[in-house]
Amino acid sequence: MQIINYYINRQNEGGALLIFPFTAIVNQEEMKLSLILNVIDPSIGGVLIMGEKGTAKSTTVRALADLLPEMDTVNCRFNCAPQGPFCTDCLEKIQKGENLEIINKKMRVVELPLGITEDRVVGSLDIEEAIKKGEKRFSPGILAEANRNFLYVDEVNLLEDHIVDLLLDSAAMGINVVEREGVSFVHPARFILVGTMNPEEGELRPQLLDRFGLCVEVYSIKDKLLRVEILRRKAEYDRDPRSFIEKWLPEQRQLAQKIMRAKETLKKIEIDDDIISKIVDITAELNLDGHRADIVMLKAAKAHAALNERDRITTEDIRKVAPLCLRHRLKRLPFEDISQESERLKEVLSRI
Amino acid sequence: MDFLEFVDHEKAKLALILNLIEPKCGGLLLIGPKGTGKSTLLKAFKSIVKAFHVPFIELPLNATEEALLGGIDIEKSVKDGKKIFQRGIISRANNGFLVIEDINLFPLQLLSLVFEAQSRSEIVIEREGFALRELSSFQILATMNSEEGELSSHFLDRFGLCVAMNTIIDKDLREDIIKVNIRRDSKNISQEELIQKIRKSKEIIKSVKVSDYVQNLISEQILKEAVESHRADIFLYHTSRAYAAFLSEGTVREQHIKDMIPFVTFHRKRYILPQEEREQNERHEDKSGENKEENFENSKRNENRGKSHESSNFSTDNIESQEFQTFKRQEVFSIGQAFKVKRFFFKRDRIKRQKSGSRTKTKTKGRGGRYIRSIFSKTPEIALDATLRAAAPFQKIRGRKDRVVILEEDLRYKEKERKMGLNVIFLVDGSGSMGVRQRMIEVKGAILSLLIDSYHKRDRVAMIVFRKDKAETVLPLTSSVELAMKRLREIPTGGKTPLTKGLFEAFKFIRRLKLKEPHARFLLFILTDGKANVSISGKPIFEEIKMVCNFLRQLTLTDIVVIDTEKKTNIIKMDLALRLARMLNSDYVLMDELKTDSITKLVNLYKNSQESGHININ
Repeated sequence: MQIINYYINRQNEGGALLIFPFTAIVNQEEMKLSLILNVIDPSIGGVLIMGEKGTAKSTTVRALADLLPEMDTVNCRFNCAPQGPFCTDCLEKIQKGENLEIINKKMRVVELPLGITEDRVVGSLDIEEAIKKGEKRFSPGILAEANRNFLYVDEVNLLEDHIVDLLLDSAAMGINVVEREGVSFVHPARFILVGTMNPEEGELRPQLLDRFGLCVEVYSIKDKLLRVEILRRKAEYDRDPRSFIEKWLPEQRQLAQKIMRAKETLKKIEIDDDIISKIVDITAELNLDGHRADIVMLKAAKAHAALNERDRITTEDIRKVAPLCLRHRLKRLPFEDISQESERLKEVLSRI
Repeated sequence: MDFLEFVDHEKAKLALILNLIEPKCGGLLLIGPKGTGKSTLLKAFKSIVKAFHVPFIELPLNATEEALLGGIDIEKSVKDGKKIFQRGIISRANNGFLVIEDINLFPLQLLSLVFEAQSRSEIVIEREGFALRELSSFQILATMNSEEGELSSHFLDRFGLCVAMNTIIDKDLREDIIKVNIRRDSKNISQEELIQKIRKSKEIIKSVKVSDYVQNLISEQILKEAVESHRADIFLYHTSRAYAAFLSEGTVREQHIKDMIPFVTFHRKRYILPQEEREQNERHEDKSGENKEENFENSKRNENRGKSHESSNFSTDNIESQEFQTFKRQEVFSIGQAFKVKRFFFKRDRIKRQKSGSRTKTKTKGRGGRYIRSIFSKTPEIALDATLRAAAPFQKIRGRKDRVVILEEDLRYKEKERKMGLNVIFLVDGSGSMGVRQRMIEVKGAILSLLIDSYHKRDRVAMIVFRKDKAETVLPLTSSVELAMKRLREIPTGGKTPLTKGLFEAFKFIRRLKLKEPHARFLLFILTDGKANVSISGKPIFEEIKMVCNFLRQLTLTDIVVIDTEKKTNIIKMDLALRLARMLNSDYVLMDELKTDSITKLVNLYKNSQESGHININ
């Protein structure tokens, strides 16, 4: 697939956009934590960030790119995992008895722009290949790029319905099946969905809401000193982004390493029955439908324990992650104030 | 016209100049009524911008997404058999200004794309077999006439600076608006000199310093102005630096910050006052009327009512007294339950369908809407990408030489879709003349039920309340339950019944939206007992109402339902709302027979009577 880097009047050399460092973002700890937990365990299933305008939602998600680890992947166009599932290309190779080449690739944050068309989401026939060679070759779309990566949708509530349908479809199946223009292709499409939205701009469809593992709410900061600090850093960054990024490099490295260590620790964490029963107690008490909440909570608590370099989950871990996991799943009656529900959650959590 | 000849708009001129000095000022929004020279000022500014070789690109109202972001150059693509990219408007505005006139009339979809590109400083195109990214940074210069519609606060926040342009500017006020007076300069400097000055400022700004004290002051001031967005701090910082540079000063002083605050906070402030403040204001307004009101006694009620029934010309006072107990004080009612347990069976035949074909069916021709997928059946637009893809595998066989061979069988067409939700507008009588309490609760309940129901975010709901001497849009058209909850929690009621104002407001409201979305459908609910008692023109009230009704009747794609809130069990009924319904040639329902959930049902009935949901445009 061709990605044309059509950079005109570039201000920054090097081809990449400069990104404000993750560690330099002031406060907004919940949002940062929820993203980090997803890096540690991608199967948590992403984050929905809800908040007002001007609260560093997008900045934070984009900054995540810097902290992402490398992963083993098959050298193919779809980032197939070495242990599968595989894309049509890899399967053909396997059938022919060829070896799959395994390489190290950095995880990425792939963005889904609002104006995207269907063929670019799922992929389509590669025209140039077809014209030149008369071959029908599949040209991958965003879902291919997003496989095993973060898929970021800014203002996810403004996304077109038919695009949302495509996302839900492949998120549920974990694969993208393409049958169009005479090409048949299947490839894995497991992505970590990260979305931001301002609830005042419109609601999110319930099915999509449930797809997000975690949910955080961000608010603008009212504390004057913190606010000054935000301005100070942003002003410094605007003056000379390169030096600013340089200055924060040690912090960035430290956090990246911490995440890497946590990923290792994660494998060692044992789950006691006691913890599971505590989690189930919470969800039962709150009358939650489905089991996704329990599973996500367990995974998030585990990742949180790993982040804090512990090999077992404590009640404290659960307390910390429960609001993230449950906020968007609490049954909110139309006229019930949200605060009531969170009070109830608080009360339930204090009892475990 | 020369930029400097604009004598009256010092603030706007300064804001433009600062944006030219420092792109990080974040663009400018000019708000003002017609004829205040917003556009002319921007055009004049263009000549200044030219001197700096900075792009100054205008975004036309009819721009398509392709034109905005860039897309495939059809002619070249067909010729060469390769996808050839054509730069979009945003791309051409790179490192310069994108000019959006009447920004509030643009489709939200398009604006989202513009602001998305701006916020990520990158254009990302993923469409029609094309993936492309391009660095992009631009400032938006926009104008809007607030009478023609709002811009969401979310979009407003993206603008660094904002200036209100008024026709009449108070002289004294103008003087302390801003300390530096370009006008004074303009007497003795030419445009060329101004350009030199800006050029110099662009140099100076590189070394302009901001002390810790001043940085603290920025955040402190922004907090004091009750502005939440952190963008305000950042824009104030950059703007103050540019301002200092323009004044040829090497450091930002406290005064600079103070001068610049209005520019960054004007559009970020919350204009909806907290409930208490609002009530206080209204109480204040009410004082004059209050004494008179207290004189009314229960015993006078019936007498008055009888009188008003006879007279076709409604005087203002007598009707007010009818429900003296409700309108004496401001009342704020809670939001009603959305889902009532008690199911009211909605009798369809209650609605008198007097209309005969006054409604135009949605014509779905036109080029608007969004390209969803390619199809075989013929539509007005060829889907080039799909056509090329269909033809591509056969090029060898067809013996392609220097151009792609496309046969008729390859042709694919665009299937387009436009979001065609229903816009439901509630025009609610908030006066004290009726048992307002229950009605308000029920309307609020209905609004929220509608929003919760329409999770596909297709339908949008708005609410206009008329009472006392004005009609007010309490809830702008929204699909957000969150926003509705916030805005509807407390709606004050009580006062006179300016029905004409309400009807006229509804008319303006719909007409405004029609400019933006000519194909949108509207359903207008008018909840009133029809006992109008405030005239705007001095003419007899019902004559006045008749005129406005004629306007309303002419609105296409608009259904109107009058819901009569008069208690029909009373001995004397006036059926004025029925009269209103006749004038509007609209449907008519009794409130007593409708409960919350049946308003929702009623809406659904209208929805299903036409094509609902998505409509194919082709």
